[in-house]
Amino acid sequence: MVGLGFQIDLFVRILPELLRGAAITIQLTAFSVAIGTLIGLFMGIARISHYKIFSVPSALYVEFIRGTPLLVQIMIVYYGLPALGLNLDQYTSGILALSINSGAYIAEIFKAGIKSIKKGQTEASISLGLNYMQTMRYVILPQATRNILPALGNEFIALLKDSSLVSVIAISELLRRGMIVYSRTYDAWTPLLGVALIYLCITIPLSRAVQYIEKRWEILD
Amino acid sequence: MIKNKTIRKKLAPISNNSNGHPIIKMVHVKKSFGDLVVLKDINLEIKKGEVLVVLGPSGSGKSTLIRCINRLEKIEEGEILVDGMDIYSPDMDVHKLRTKVGMVFQQFNLFPHMKVLDNIILSPLKVKRIPKNQAKKEALELLKKVGLDDKFNSYPHELSGGQQQRVAIARALAMNPDVMLFDEVTSALDPELVKGVLETMKELAKMGMTMIVVTHEMGFAKEVADRVIFMDEGYIIEENEPKEIFENPQNPRTQAFISKIL
Ligand SMILES: Nc1ncnc2c1ncn2[C@@H]1O[C@H](COP(=O)(O)OP(=O)(O)OP(=O)(O)O)[C@@H](O)[C@H]1O
Ligand SMILES: [Mg+2]
Repeated sequence: MVGLGFQIDLFVRILPELLRGAAITIQLTAFSVAIGTLIGLFMGIARISHYKIFSVPSALYVEFIRGTPLLVQIMIVYYGLPALGLNLDQYTSGILALSINSGAYIAEIFKAGIKSIKKGQTEASISLGLNYMQTMRYVILPQATRNILPALGNEFIALLKDSSLVSVIAISELLRRGMIVYSRTYDAWTPLLGVALIYLCITIPLSRAVQYIEKRWEILD
Repeated sequence: MIKNKTIRKKLAPISNNSNGHPIIKMVHVKKSFGDLVVLKDINLEIKKGEVLVVLGPSGSGKSTLIRCINRLEKIEEGEILVDGMDIYSPDMDVHKLRTKVGMVFQQFNLFPHMKVLDNIILSPLKVKRIPKNQAKKEALELLKKVGLDDKFNSYPHELSGGQQQRVAIARALAMNPDVMLFDEVTSALDPELVKGVLETMKELAKMGMTMIVVTHEMGFAKEVADRVIFMDEGYIIEENEPKEIFENPQNPRTQAFISKIL
């Protein structure tokens, strides 16, 4: 009622509902980044492989994902896959789409991270008789992962925001809950501003944490 | 190709390298990077226990030569035999080869995320599959040899350059190689740290290790080398005992080089 029409009493009343949505948003994002990291790890390694059977599909995948809107990808997974006989519920479809999407961005992060490790590390490792996989596992990836941790954190934040798009397939995440309140109360301002506020409450600490890690790495280097 | 194969067959049975047989043999080795021919016709034999110093101006192909011996580079022509095995033959187990040939680099290349001890036991654990306790015990003995047994629990960045290089030597020795390759291992060090590394290498030579050493350290070459080769533009243009090379070089290019660095 005060000022810009943000109704604090309404906000307090719908807060538990919105927070349940926020929990789903965080869950969706966490699952998707976890799966996306696995996809990104393999796709990133495949991308820099000398074998075209690995590098070409990986490049195509990354191109496709980065060149198309996430919203379209979500729709393809949810409405398109059933046409192939694959029926997934909304929640699974959402995670699948978000995972595949973040996998492409994380693949690029891994690619850059692996390339940032000096050639001498690989040479020392293979000179000691380690094979390619062992070199990756024990020498390159531990160092690369440390370097890319901030970038992975930023990807988590980006995906957390982008996950609001799965509201279109009726997953009751944060934005969708806000919209439901809006349709119930005919007040758009309070629930949507509330939604934005909650996003901020999650993203600001996260990006501070990322900055902190970056600073610490700088000092250590 | 066909010619290579017949040579390979003839030489394959040589595995007894004990007396006089070369542990490394390079025959008509040629290597280029694109259009740039870096090794032109390298023929070289190294006996077990021999210390060979490689001299030559920058860009003459010294690093490339020793990198070919553990297949860090691919050669186009000729062959390289290590312990009688043709290392470029398709059925060669390259990882096994590399455990026979230890390499130490100018930039140390220790693994910065691992402690000194873990740097050393990585290959024994993962390649040779030695039990961890035994690998640790052997690593500590090696560290003692290079005078750094108190540093086993440090990270590489906590050590001086000279100490890091000695750890790198210990790490290469941990595989029990037959041959050690050294590529300008003291060039990146502050002058006062060079001595400790050279001492370690001298010890190693005394113990009978076969060594190929690219270096500009003439003192080391004179004192430790059994033989010196001088490279220029992809060829070995002179080869002799250190005393001869330094005091009585034959080739004008060797003369010019020697007079510049002495
Ligand atoms: N990976 C590479 N790609 C292209 N050219 C290379 C590569 N490595 C070496 N070269 C070239 O091959 C030539 C020989 O290099 P190499 O490193 O063997 O010389 P070097 O005798 O060790 O010299 P330095 O004393 O400077 O270390 C040089 O002209 C160098 O530029
Ligand atoms: Mg060199």
